[in-house]
Amino acid sequence: MERRSLLKAGLAAGSLGMAGGYAAPALSQGARARTLRFVPQANLANFDPIWGTQYVVRNASAMVWDTLYGVNDKLEPLPQMVEGETVSQDGLTWTFKLRAGLRFHDGTPVLAKDVVASITRWMPRDPMGQMVRAIQKELVAVDDTTFRWVLGSPYPKLKYALGKTNTPICFIMPERIATKFDSFTQIDEYVGSGPMRFVRNEWVPGATAVFQKFDQYVPRGGAVSWLSGPKVMGVDRVEWVVMPDPATAVAALQNGEVDWWENPITDLVPLMRRNRNIRLDIADPLGNIGSFRMNHLHAPFNSKKIRQAVLAAMSQEDYMRALVGTDDALWKALPGFFTPGTPAYTEAGGDILKGARNMDLAKRLLQEGGYNNEPVVCIVAQDQPITKAQGDITADLLKRMGMNVDFVATDWGTTGQRRAMKNPPAAGGWSMFHTWHAGADCVNPAAYNAVRGTGQQAWFGWPESKGVEDGVTEWFAAPNPAAEKVAMDKINTAAIDDVVYAPTGFFLGYTAWRSNVTGIQKGPLPFFWGVNKA
Amino acid sequence: MFAYIVRRVLATIPVMAIVALFVFSLLYIAPGDPAAVIAGDQATPDDVERIRASLGLDRPYLVRFGAWVWDILRGDLGVSIFTNLPVSTMIQQRIEPTLSLMIVTLILAVSIAVPMGVVAAWRQGTWIDRAVMGFAVLGFSVPVFVVGYVLAYFFALEWDLLPVQGYTPFARGFWPWLENLILPSIALGSVYIALIARITRATMLEVLQQDYIRTARAKGLNQSGILFLHALKNAAVPIITVIGIGIALLIGGAVVTESVFAIPGLGRLTVDAILRRDYPVIQGVVLLFSFVYVLVNLAIDLAYTLFDPRIRY
Repeated sequence: MERRSLLKAGLAAGSLGMAGGYAAPALSQGARARTLRFVPQANLANFDPIWGTQYVVRNASAMVWDTLYGVNDKLEPLPQMVEGETVSQDGLTWTFKLRAGLRFHDGTPVLAKDVVASITRWMPRDPMGQMVRAIQKELVAVDDTTFRWVLGSPYPKLKYALGKTNTPICFIMPERIATKFDSFTQIDEYVGSGPMRFVRNEWVPGATAVFQKFDQYVPRGGAVSWLSGPKVMGVDRVEWVVMPDPATAVAALQNGEVDWWENPITDLVPLMRRNRNIRLDIADPLGNIGSFRMNHLHAPFNSKKIRQAVLAAMSQEDYMRALVGTDDALWKALPGFFTPGTPAYTEAGGDILKGARNMDLAKRLLQEGGYNNEPVVCIVAQDQPITKAQGDITADLLKRMGMNVDFVATDWGTTGQRRAMKNPPAAGGWSMFHTWHAGADCVNPAAYNAVRGTGQQAWFGWPESKGVEDGVTEWFAAPNPAAEKVAMDKINTAAIDDVVYAPTGFFLGYTAWRSNVTGIQKGPLPFFWGVNKA
Repeated sequence: MFAYIVRRVLATIPVMAIVALFVFSLLYIAPGDPAAVIAGDQATPDDVERIRASLGLDRPYLVRFGAWVWDILRGDLGVSIFTNLPVSTMIQQRIEPTLSLMIVTLILAVSIAVPMGVVAAWRQGTWIDRAVMGFAVLGFSVPVFVVGYVLAYFFALEWDLLPVQGYTPFARGFWPWLENLILPSIALGSVYIALIARITRATMLEVLQQDYIRTARAKGLNQSGILFLHALKNAAVPIITVIGIGIALLIGGAVVTESVFAIPGLGRLTVDAILRRDYPVIQGVVLLFSFVYVLVNLAIDLAYTLFDPRIRY
């Protein structure tokens, strides 16, 4: 018997009379084993995966809503809710058939009309969805289990769009909910189609979220991998316990009060390694790409040479050491924009980021770019460890280059607002801000807003790069992986040349769990199916 | 007395109105954008703008303020921008842990600090006095989160006597409720114990020099009777004042304690709401805290009359 259980038993006996008979519900060993207590990366503050596209919402939603296709660890989209599809010879008409036995959590069957409504709600919020919507001629339910999608021009990546892990994922929800709320309005009913039900009355935003196994879920066959294959739950109940303080989370994991911590900070890894009841592994081999973005609209970074000067001077090792410390297994230099280790990874055109750093070249480029001591308004969110560490390195770098740095220490909420402002830096705008991208979003240009060079329509910083956009167009039209690779080389070269943004390196993070938990997959999000607890 | 209470309760209305105006205006001019947080990092500026419009955040100041005040007057604190839940529901979900933490801390602190202060004054200049004052210095100096981590390390990790984190509602049993509150209450109460002990000691030292204490001794009263019946009662007014101020400190301290011990209380709700710019939640919680402060002040003023009959309202 554990010391705390003994103490509890003794005091409970004593307190029974005192509290007039209040008693704690007994949680049997079996029930304990059927409940997985998980510490997520952040608070689940809302629960609409289309309206709110934060990763934490996506991660919870993947348990509750199923998808038509699901990518596996090779980034291949495999059928999930669909039985299969047929495509016309010209590649314009896609006909999908749903597999039998699909049910929503209210017990009603999943029908083609639900799928059509869900896709329609998803499209406006997703970069790939927007592309498909632009060429869509018709999306209709043919009968209860069949729907047809007619396009104006071929879109070979359609299955990938429907099965990717990037947020927002195309989750399937009932038609009445998907049509009642547009993409920019939050749903208020959580009727899912996936293996777990969301227990709304136990949801305390900022503290707990509870998911209960949905007994009527019919897993498909095959092997489980990421979002594809049989989503068989090994536990009956998953409890998310939000812990803002990493020290508390690690103590709770050591003490067995929680079973799995999604993203422990690297500082605590040595402590966990010493505990024989804790297992550690890389959470997601696709990792993250650190970055800072320069404002292409205003001086000084409206000059390509000045942007290139920063690339010539910056040391990715400095950034990565600031982020992950001395553990060399956790980072890689990244002379490009795409995720290392993936099929289309390329370093084409990335020479300026390789080898010894060249401060002389940087200073010469600054001069050629006409730098006139304009202040560089460098926005650094202090409440995000990743942005803070990167910001400190950048400020030092710019000062060593001889630039006039106006360091704006703020929080992420303010950064989110200020980075959207196109005013000159002196009028409330900005020159640069720091962020990072999940490697899963950077495996190709499909959902990679940050690499696009569409000028005023581009992501914050508004880079304009014809080379990047030509490459993206070629990638979407590419008929095979070889052609995709050629397009990716082109994108990478142009993005480096125009300095769409500055990649600070590729880094990985750990995930940690108790030794009695098995079946945890490495991937871009925590997959709960296949996880068992002894 | 009754007229005084009515006057004080009515006086809360303008106070609350000023707080409401101040909080709303401050949030309006503060930087940050909940729409950007909701939209996520991959969202385009157009997406953010559409979400902002759908939340009504693009409306002018006066329109938004007017709508909010109208809702408040009807007893509606609004709906959280993020969770889509009524603010009153979110407060209801979080109020029990914070209240529990405050009550246990208060009981713990007063029951330890007052006797400590009394004994220190009685034994002025001895090792007992120095030990109490040394503890008080420590209590003031060591941050709450450090005390929290040290307690969690020994009592939870090393000795496995208490849980590291979390909260169990009182309805699930007295001990499960209490076992989650012991470490946070000690951590949060350490500053408070130090404060009350010091004030009690200082006030008692003054009272113990009074003539009536000498008279009590002369007529043969025992030491505990002198200390606790005569001296402490006369020293009570400043102590009660400090306890009242301490309740305000507790609300602030609860933010840190709730984070360290992962207690889902109002402190964490407030911090989360501020970081996300969830305006209705911030406004609702600040209004609630202001109301509590006003009530605590009133209660303290009324308590004076119990200990000092010379005070009349």
